[in-house]
Amino acid sequence: MLSIKNLHACVEGKQILNGINLEIKAGEVHAIMGPNGSGKSTLSQVLAGNEAFDVTAGEVFLNGDNLLDLATEERAREGVFLAFQYPVEIPGVSNLQFLRTAVNAMRKHHSKEDMNAAEFMKLAKEVSKQVDLDPAFLKRGVNEGFSGGEKKRNEIMQALLLQPKLAILDETDSGLDIDALKVVSDGVNALRAPDRCIIMITHYQRLLDHIVPDYVHVLADGKIIKSGSAELALELEAKGYGWLGIKDEAVANQ
Amino acid sequence: MATTDQEVRELIKREYEHGFVTEIESDTFEPGLSEDVIRRLSNLKQEPEFMLEWRLKAYRRWLEMEEPEWAHVDYPKVKYNDISYYSAPKRPEDMPQSLDEVDPELLRTYEKLGIPLHERAKLAGVAVDAVFDSVSVATTFKEPLEKAGVIFCPISEALQKYPELVKKYLGSVVPVADNYFAALNSAVFSDGSFVYIPKGVRCPLELSTYFRINAANTGQFERTLIIADEGSYVSYLEGCTAPMRDENQLHAAVVELVLLDDAQIKYSTVQNWYPGDETGKGGIYNFVTKRAACNGKNSKVSWTQVETGSAITWKYPSCILRGDNSVGEFYSVALTHNYQQADTGTKMIHLGKNTRSTVISKGISAGRSSNAYRGLVKFNPGAEGARNFTQCDSLLIGDRCGAHTFPYIESKNKSAIVEHEATTSKVSEEQMFLCRQRGIEPEQAVSMIVNGFCKEVFKELPMEFAVEAGKLLEVSLEGSVG
Amino acid sequence: MKTAPMLSSAFLQPAGQALPTTLLALRFDRASSLADLLLPTRRTENWKYSAKHLKLTDEMASSLPSDASVEAADISGYTVVLVNGVVRPEVSNYPSIEGLSIQRFSELDVDDAALAADLIGKSISDQPAKSGSVNLSQLNGARFEDGLLIQLKPNTVLDQPLFVIHHTTASHSGSAYPRILVAVGRNSQLTVVEDYVSSGDCSVMVNTTTEFNLDDGANVTSIRLNTEGQAVQHMGTTGVRQQRSSRFESHSVGFGGTLRRHDLHVRLEGEGAECKLNGVVVTQGTQHYDNHTTIEHVAANCNSEETYRNIAADKSHAIFNGRIHIHQDAQKSNANMSNKNLLLTNGAEIDTKPELEIYADDVKCAHGATIGRLDDESIFYLVSRGLSRRDAKVLLTMAFINELVDQIPVEQVRESANIGLNQFFDQAFQEV
Repeated sequence: MLSIKNLHACVEGKQILNGINLEIKAGEVHAIMGPNGSGKSTLSQVLAGNEAFDVTAGEVFLNGDNLLDLATEERAREGVFLAFQYPVEIPGVSNLQFLRTAVNAMRKHHSKEDMNAAEFMKLAKEVSKQVDLDPAFLKRGVNEGFSGGEKKRNEIMQALLLQPKLAILDETDSGLDIDALKVVSDGVNALRAPDRCIIMITHYQRLLDHIVPDYVHVLADGKIIKSGSAELALELEAKGYGWLGIKDEAVANQ
Repeated sequence: MATTDQEVRELIKREYEHGFVTEIESDTFEPGLSEDVIRRLSNLKQEPEFMLEWRLKAYRRWLEMEEPEWAHVDYPKVKYNDISYYSAPKRPEDMPQSLDEVDPELLRTYEKLGIPLHERAKLAGVAVDAVFDSVSVATTFKEPLEKAGVIFCPISEALQKYPELVKKYLGSVVPVADNYFAALNSAVFSDGSFVYIPKGVRCPLELSTYFRINAANTGQFERTLIIADEGSYVSYLEGCTAPMRDENQLHAAVVELVLLDDAQIKYSTVQNWYPGDETGKGGIYNFVTKRAACNGKNSKVSWTQVETGSAITWKYPSCILRGDNSVGEFYSVALTHNYQQADTGTKMIHLGKNTRSTVISKGISAGRSSNAYRGLVKFNPGAEGARNFTQCDSLLIGDRCGAHTFPYIESKNKSAIVEHEATTSKVSEEQMFLCRQRGIEPEQAVSMIVNGFCKEVFKELPMEFAVEAGKLLEVSLEGSVG
Repeated sequence: MKTAPMLSSAFLQPAGQALPTTLLALRFDRASSLADLLLPTRRTENWKYSAKHLKLTDEMASSLPSDASVEAADISGYTVVLVNGVVRPEVSNYPSIEGLSIQRFSELDVDDAALAADLIGKSISDQPAKSGSVNLSQLNGARFEDGLLIQLKPNTVLDQPLFVIHHTTASHSGSAYPRILVAVGRNSQLTVVEDYVSSGDCSVMVNTTTEFNLDDGANVTSIRLNTEGQAVQHMGTTGVRQQRSSRFESHSVGFGGTLRRHDLHVRLEGEGAECKLNGVVVTQGTQHYDNHTTIEHVAANCNSEETYRNIAADKSHAIFNGRIHIHQDAQKSNANMSNKNLLLTNGAEIDTKPELEIYADDVKCAHGATIGRLDDESIFYLVSRGLSRRDAKVLLTMAFINELVDQIPVEQVRESANIGLNQFFDQAFQEV
């Protein structure tokens, strides 16, 4: 379903991704782990089409379409969804208005009629309950004054609403307490579907207790240096990244 | 994806949508200004003698005055003798007695503008006075207003029917020689709206005036006078459009509001005069004096403006808070794009005890435009316990535009408190990326973010205006995403 | 319309002819350019609130004697004393330190004179005076006498502050024109304290200009204390040019007088430069004080932080006009301005005008201004703890400015500032 071939990318002239190769089949969940600065977040930004990053080589196909030819919003409409690590605030724009605009942009792309306000409200309330967000959040400004955990739940809520083909979750577990982690994980598990693939980017293994991936990849210096099953994550948890010949201060300090 | 690109192109191509010219026969004065022109104008309008004297006095003062240069705007000198000071649609000698007698071409014009004047298509609950070039062409809903005792008519008609009322209040808020453009207006104004709300009456309808400049080489100089008697309330809406023409046209209006004890006026403007094209050619010079005198105790005036049009805007709707406990509010969105220039803000003059004022200004600059907030908050010695809060926010879209803030704050009363805050921001790349990642078009994302930025002001507008204002921003911002 | 009076030609007759020819020529040029200019009036935007106090009669034009006797300053440390705008080495005490050069204009060699001529007026361009009226710091350029050129070579750190004492003393009306040029080399550090004092009750004008030029990585602290007598019209200008990664800090404490005016103009010309401007003004009686500041972000990635506090009592008048100007190429600028004011009585007046002029989009700029009174609740709280109402008010008023006074990095200055401030409080809160 998703095929990444020899992907190279840089930001402000600095090379970050040095040839990523990854194949993901429909229905699969892949976890990407790795130390700080290994290129995990860059990969997610490049897949979503952030123009701050330059792709210098490689190809990315989603269901046969070359994503790299598409603008950010076109990728989104083809089903690419990125749950941001640090979702930005948009003052004055209500969550509801924002999401309805997004949903209708998707629907228009798929030649469907706009969803009217009442219908949408109903749907939005349902999914917000699914991630344990008070529907009152829908009326607040996008991410405006949300706590860290609320922002993350809001991201997952959007994924449930937009029903993507490829969901990329960038450190969705960071900054969450145990209860919130459970809620977010339940949301992600609800996203698992035979026609959808999910990439989870995480630093720690604890998220993977709740969402068991089909594959785990270790990223270092912009390359996948090791791939394995869910057990690989446990091994990393126990041994750190050192045994793979990479330094990681964050893990070393634990 | 070709369709999407095409949509964007279509959107950007969309132009000022009120730019058509109405083919209509007009009576238009030869360009030029003199005492004779003023006499002719006054005579044509069959004005009472005092009015002619008043105009001539203004004209003589105007001749001695100099065009102000302090505003942060730059434009070639206006050639006042190249302008025609009167243009009116030709029509039967007598005034039309009902809308059926109004020239059908004119009615179609207003239909095109989305302002149906015809009885059966009228906006529910909004009475409209339509001013076309120099004259008022139609006023709707006269009957229910009369029943409530509300006077809503062209000011030329008021001069015939209620000369004493007009004489008493005209120029009482904006004196004839208040400033250069107000003096010019006082000398040559041709029409405008007059409103009187009697004691204790809550005006049963929203009142609305739509201004349209149609003829070429003419200026529009309308004069609006609203008197809210004790304990009355009125909500007044004002909109304006003009054809696309290559030369600049002058609009120099004066609006005076008078509020007696416990009266309340809510005055909303959506200003969409032709802004000129994307190279800065053409457009309206909008030099407007608007002022409210809260003469009565506990009176309250609220100015809400959405300024998206005009090549140059020079406008400072002000409040003189004379009555104790009176309240002044100013909510403004000013958007400039391409080569537009705006220098706009407000003056809050606190004279009475416990007077309060609030200023919320949102300036958006795009393209190569310049957008300045200029404001004065003044507490006189008698303004015991007075308060002001001011918030000025600027949003920049692109790195070729300017956003400026020039607030004057003056206090002579130790118990008065003023708080002023200003910030500047841009539509961030992160915000754009988030929106686009969720599938939203860049143009739509910008318009959504800008609308969010303006939310505090839009919520002050009457419902139907708020929708219009939002759409207007969207249209005005087209092509701003590079 | 009434036309404004013109600047009298009497003002264009400088004294002190013993200067290097380049400087004499420069002075002459400035004088010619000032001929026929109008004096500012209340219609002149940046003199709106102060023009009525400006007295530039012919008798004010005469030069003040530079040989008046003064006592040596009671300051331990490096001092340069100027009397009526002329450096007086015999009552000064400045060190001979490697890398530091302090010279009088009259003793400059050809090269240094050329340097001085080049620096004069360079930091104070872009004055928003489009009105065709005279700019008073230009008048200094036409009238300065034996001023001061301070140069610090690269990588030089002056171990203690340099006090520059400006003494105005006169037995007749007239004016003095001190001029100081400071050029600080790469990565050098300097603290300059300018102390303005006067003796005598004659109506005099001090028209003073100080210009700082900071090379890459230089670090300058400028402290300015203004305690001249009531009769002195003080017209001060400070110009600052900052190159890459330099840092400029300014602390000023001003006491009102018949007319006090200080224009502080900082240009951040090199990337990564930063400035911090603090100011305190107190006025009482019929005093007047007008502070104008301009911070120009010319280069990208610069920071500026400005905090001014004014207190006006009795029938006095305090003015703050702060302008932040972000040029088109100054992306990623950070600029913050705060001005808070306390109006103690109904006869007094405070005016403030915090301006932003912004031509770059990727910037963070904010300003805030308030005018208010002492908080009744706070007064009540203190009184309920046994303080007298007067003491409560003094305490709260001091709290309003303490934060800024405490930041002055030279103890001697903090002390003199506090002495002046305490006198102010004693008088301002007498009636209670």
